Amino acid sequence: MPIQKIETDVLVIGGGGAGFRAAIAARERGVRALLVSKGPLARCGASPMAGADFTLDGASMNGLGRDGDTNDSMDKCFNDIVTQGWFLNNQKLVRHYVETAPRLLKDLMDYGIDIKLSDQRMIFFSGLHLMDILLKKARSVGVDLLEDVMVLELLRRDGGVTGALCLGIRTGEFIAVSCRAVVMASGGWHKAFWPNTGMRDLSGEGMAMAQRAGATLGNMEFITFCCNIMYEPPMWRGSLAPYMLGLIAGGRLCNRKGEEFLKQYDPSVVKTGTSTEWNKSFISMASMKEVRAGNGFENGGVHFDRGEVSWDLMKMIATFIFPDWKYKAIDLSEWGRMLEAGEPIEVGPAVEYFDGGIIVNDRFESGVPGLYAAGECCLGAFGSNRVFSAITEMLVQGLTAGENAAAFAGGSAQVAPDASLVNALVHAAEAPLAGKGNISPARARRIIQERAHAQLGPVRNGNELSDFIAFLERVRANELGSLTAASPGRIYNKEWIDALELGNMVQLLEVSARCALARTESRGVHFREDCPVTDNDAWLKESTATIGDGGFDIGSRAATVTSMSPPGGKVPYLDMMKRMMESHSDTGGKH
Amino acid sequence: MNGDSIRVKVFRFDPSRDREPYYSDYSVPFEKGMSAMDALDYIYQNLDGGIAYYDHAGCSLGICARCTGRVNGKPGLICQTAVEGDIVLEPVNKDKVIKDLVTRRGG
Repeated sequence: MPIQKIETDVLVIGGGGAGFRAAIAARERGVRALLVSKGPLARCGASPMAGADFTLDGASMNGLGRDGDTNDSMDKCFNDIVTQGWFLNNQKLVRHYVETAPRLLKDLMDYGIDIKLSDQRMIFFSGLHLMDILLKKARSVGVDLLEDVMVLELLRRDGGVTGALCLGIRTGEFIAVSCRAVVMASGGWHKAFWPNTGMRDLSGEGMAMAQRAGATLGNMEFITFCCNIMYEPPMWRGSLAPYMLGLIAGGRLCNRKGEEFLKQYDPSVVKTGTSTEWNKSFISMASMKEVRAGNGFENGGVHFDRGEVSWDLMKMIATFIFPDWKYKAIDLSEWGRMLEAGEPIEVGPAVEYFDGGIIVNDRFESGVPGLYAAGECCLGAFGSNRVFSAITEMLVQGLTAGENAAAFAGGSAQVAPDASLVNALVHAAEAPLAGKGNISPARARRIIQERAHAQLGPVRNGNELSDFIAFLERVRANELGSLTAASPGRIYNKEWIDALELGNMVQLLEVSARCALARTESRGVHFREDCPVTDNDAWLKESTATIGDGGFDIGSRAATVTSMSPPGGKVPYLDMMKRMMESHSDTGGKH
Repeated sequence: MNGDSIRVKVFRFDPSRDREPYYSDYSVPFEKGMSAMDALDYIYQNLDGGIAYYDHAGCSLGICARCTGRVNGKPGLICQTAVEGDIVLEPVNKDKVIKDLVTRRGG
């Protein structure tokens, strides 16, 4: 089959907010920009699923005509992001976030964003609306767009990135893109876990191929699980409706024994850990502890009901968030009936955000010439725990990465794809179609996903991590090479796609588990029940992972500190969490 | 699972290989609160890996709307159509089929 060839200046891999903002920025700098989206344009990845909040300092909001807290400042936001991240943040990227965010808010307002509500340091809109606006802007400035196309591997010459090999999922055709620079904006790798919070495209190939191309992945052990995700009924599994309602209205969590298990914790931690987005780390950890102690329900979760909250109040809030009990196209009216009757629904943690990723500097360069990264796929501003806005993060990073990639592209030569390299990659990608193995990609994936949730979830220990790594090594040695699609057809062959994705997920899971095993402390969203202390003397370091001759090289480097000095000493995990919660600045607002 | 099974009949057509469309029948364990997408996921993972429905970048939560199809003749989102008994799954427009339940957009 002939391989289609496309030429561009800046190739953007990923069709979420970071990718669109990068492509717009590159195009506005006068170079050609091609955005490749794995799914439907503006309807794939995590961005359309988001709530979504754009968070910046209230004073800057005020300066742009929004009603923000004038006593707020960039320094206060900086303080809050760094303490929420338990001081593991790259402070250069935190500074970039707080200083660039006002410009992005102005852009969004110029693009015509419809703001649903706001508080003293954030505006709120739907992720779907944001993506529609970015798509419209991208089209208006002339970004080239491809949808339902999966990127398989970066093409390189002399160490630098010169293009990528892609697969059209609807056609089964290969596409070789040649370019002068790449912005990786491929988001997270939610699909490596079950349950997860939705989107089925996020299988981590961007991060995995960047690592294969020589980039370093950092802090891969830090994975944010969203709490109170629906585990039942199957049709709603993965929905964050109870998370949203619980965050605003409150409610009650119980284990199988009928105990309100949060009551065993420090009341001030519970208060901040249920009424702010600290809930993701705190409640996920607390829920998983119950499940692991045998106090969970059939689906491995806990029970959420309205508890002491009056039906009138809960109904008022619920109907504001879910008008007519509809959340997008989900009809939640049966859940409304259950809430009124005081009946519980089973909920639990599910993978939601990846704090680690491709290590970049504050120009969003990966260290591989021509390769930039932005948004969730890079090791961003949030250190070991994200409470602030991932939407803001993806937009500020997309902007800067896109601008810098455009400048780089302007000064580098176009290199035609190396035909022998492309042919070798095509040959490897076609292996699952050849029908030589006997392992079903879908079944293999499901087993891996469930094990990832159990052993690399919100509560970890060294024995389980070692066991999981050994399991992944066996998968790598015995299964990945034998994945086979039952049908050799090329057109929308789900098993072929699954087989191509699975190697990337296994790679990232192994890196993450190895970093989690190496980090013998608890910090942020990484809780080790066998090391329940935050060790500020030994572990104010980012984990690093590269691919070496004999497998993964796991190491570390000091966290990037500019203006806020980290604390020292060893502190019990929940005490450290309380200290970090109490370090919040004196401004209002959700974050 | 409560031990019951449902019959799921799925429209199949690969225009590059099949002369005409046909239907495949599957027996799927019934689970209270399952959607038609849950039935397809079960078939794909356990019975027939060759089946195609749009999910490589779907959300399964009623947001992206790419899984639109017909369940027992009625158009809707496959991921948010509750299943209570035997079902027939078909594309909305059989003339636009790329493969099975996956169709071309536009045109």
